[in-house]
Amino acid sequence: MTQHYELLSGDQVLRIHEASLEILDEVGLLVRNAQAREILAAHGCRPQPGSEIMHLPRAVVEEFRASIPPSFTFGGRDPSFDRTIPGDSPVMVTGSSAPNIVDPLTGQERRARSEDLARIAHLVNELPGYDVFSISTLAEDAPAGMFSLTRFYAALKNCAKPVRGSGPPEDTEKILQLAFTIAGSEAAYRAHPFVTHHYCPVVSPLTMDFDSTQMLIYYTEQGLPCYPTIVPNAGLTSPLTLLGTLAQGNAEFLAAAVLEQMVRPGKATIYATLPTVADMRSGAYAPGAIETGVLFVGHAQMARFYNVPNGGYIGLTNSKLNDAQSGYETGMSLALGLAAGVDMFNTGGLLDALMAFDFAKAVIDDEIFMMAKRAKRGLEFSEDNLALDLIREVGPAGMFMDNAHTLERMKSAAFLPEISDRDARAQWIERGALDSQARAMRRVQDILTRDNPVVFSAEVDARVRAKFAGLVAGDSRPPQGWTHSAPPARRERTERRRREAAGQSS
Amino acid sequence: MSEELDLTKLPTEEIVLQIKDDLYDGLAAEVVAAVKELLRRGLTPYEVLTGSLVAGMDVVGADFRDGILFVPEVLMAAKSMKAGMEILRPLLVETGAPQIGTLVIGTVKGDIHDIGKNLVAMMMEGAGFKVVNLGINVDAEKFIGAVKEHKPTLFGMSALLTTTMPYMGVVIKALKEAGLRDDLIVLVGGAPLNAAFAEEIEADAYCRDAAIAVETAKKLVALKRGV
Repeated sequence: MTQHYELLSGDQVLRIHEASLEILDEVGLLVRNAQAREILAAHGCRPQPGSEIMHLPRAVVEEFRASIPPSFTFGGRDPSFDRTIPGDSPVMVTGSSAPNIVDPLTGQERRARSEDLARIAHLVNELPGYDVFSISTLAEDAPAGMFSLTRFYAALKNCAKPVRGSGPPEDTEKILQLAFTIAGSEAAYRAHPFVTHHYCPVVSPLTMDFDSTQMLIYYTEQGLPCYPTIVPNAGLTSPLTLLGTLAQGNAEFLAAAVLEQMVRPGKATIYATLPTVADMRSGAYAPGAIETGVLFVGHAQMARFYNVPNGGYIGLTNSKLNDAQSGYETGMSLALGLAAGVDMFNTGGLLDALMAFDFAKAVIDDEIFMMAKRAKRGLEFSEDNLALDLIREVGPAGMFMDNAHTLERMKSAAFLPEISDRDARAQWIERGALDSQARAMRRVQDILTRDNPVVFSAEVDARVRAKFAGLVAGDSRPPQGWTHSAPPARRERTERRRREAAGQSS
Repeated sequence: MSEELDLTKLPTEEIVLQIKDDLYDGLAAEVVAAVKELLRRGLTPYEVLTGSLVAGMDVVGADFRDGILFVPEVLMAAKSMKAGMEILRPLLVETGAPQIGTLVIGTVKGDIHDIGKNLVAMMMEGAGFKVVNLGINVDAEKFIGAVKEHKPTLFGMSALLTTTMPYMGVVIKALKEAGLRDDLIVLVGGAPLNAAFAEEIEADAYCRDAAIAVETAKKLVALKRGV
């Protein structure tokens, strides 16, 4: 049995649903995309004469939302990395499409390039907390006409986990051809797609755009995995009440989801959002604010009411540095979302309200994700876990640490953090008195100076490069001056034993 | 400010103070009434503009910078300023008084995110500029048509998407080819932009937010006019 932190009663959930239906029917949606208007009209929606506004009658919305399936699968280049929500929740994802990166050597922010993306993909592949790689940055060095190709190539070449991304309409064919070429054929790719296409077709308030709407329709028609995210900003593009923003955002989700179902009944999707409250002092965009976490509690409840998996951008930060603000903003909202039953978190690696990727932040987020996954396991209620016999056996004034029961569970009962420091102060000083940022960068260096185990085979890479002349190298090479430092003896022994154990069992 | 004030009974200097207060409080109808009263008393449109409206908005701007006023308050003040300007603008033209200037602004082709651009437009109206807002998804042709029609001093473009911001460079190129670029002060803005990008596409300035846009516009217009 799973219980979730909830803020709405059953009646209140129904009221928000009703309010959303009323918005869609009476206010309607300004639909810029002509094909979307045609699809909506063909399925019973009313065009408002003399405008591009479409009214979505409640019966139509109710009919089409009923065919949304209860789960969504992200496919990876390596199928062992496939993840399905809600079954595999919480599924942890990078934040995406930041124009900038914090340079790993200088610590200065600059435009991101393809070699940065290759390193990020490599890192995300190796960090166990990440389930899906949403392409973190842009690539300033992308050759003309190869903007999306460059990003998807660097990402897919270096990461075997599910990749999520988007591109403008003119890049669609190239993205798909790249995927087909990697898979070996179109049929092979379609049998197991490893790219999830993502768009924000609804621009709040209540407007569907041209291009993103087009792409959502296209990938839905194609039967390829895709989903939209709804992004209201309270006080600016939705009412300055959390409840009004929830109702409007819910209506906007229903509009996009219903359009998908009209194109392809039974098409899987995600109830995905990025709701924020604008800072009224300056108008600043504040995705690190706690109100985003609170709004997610409401959206998660609405998603459960519709029996649709949910998630979105939660746990972002406005901080420019990987500092305390960055940690508490990510931690507070993420913990709230986790308790509320959010299935998917687009969180990792970004600073400054989605503007810049930071390697150390990505590693610290990995640790937060591992904590979240441990939290999700909860108390693991069972008679065995009650351990009554053991309590009896050890008895008053006894000790549990020298017990076989403890030994069997010493690596699994608790999450063993890699970044959090638990040393005694003297020991911490002996080890360099490092803060979490420095320890995280050490882990980045450790990973990026090793060979990438999942990089394309020579054969696949040759095939791709033959098809797309002029592609960037797309290889994950360590930043200049970074060399592989010998791992601590303890880790080396652990790894040797792991290899031996793997050898014996195979 | 709910008590009824009989403006005709107030001394002129008190009406000026009252306009500044009403601007600060975002009371458009009251600002309009006071502007009309000052004109009735024989003040020139230019005197009303500089002595009352611009001076009043300077206080609003200063208090916003200092964190005393919040954005919604500034927008209400800007709306009141706009209401006052609508009365003054034709009179300023008639009397040959110096114009504050016109801004042509739009969100570039492919992009329909226009909230930030609309904020800039409102704030510029708050500074007394006439604003021609072309809306969203504006292509080079439409921008050029508007420049020819409205002969603006200022030209603004915005984009939120990283995929659409390069189009700003296309527009500037087209303005050059049409021989219009040199007469314009080109301002650009939007979340993914930076100063280097503005320089690269040969805009005159990158404005990181609406308040900076107003400041930059005032500064560059003054420079251009050699004030």
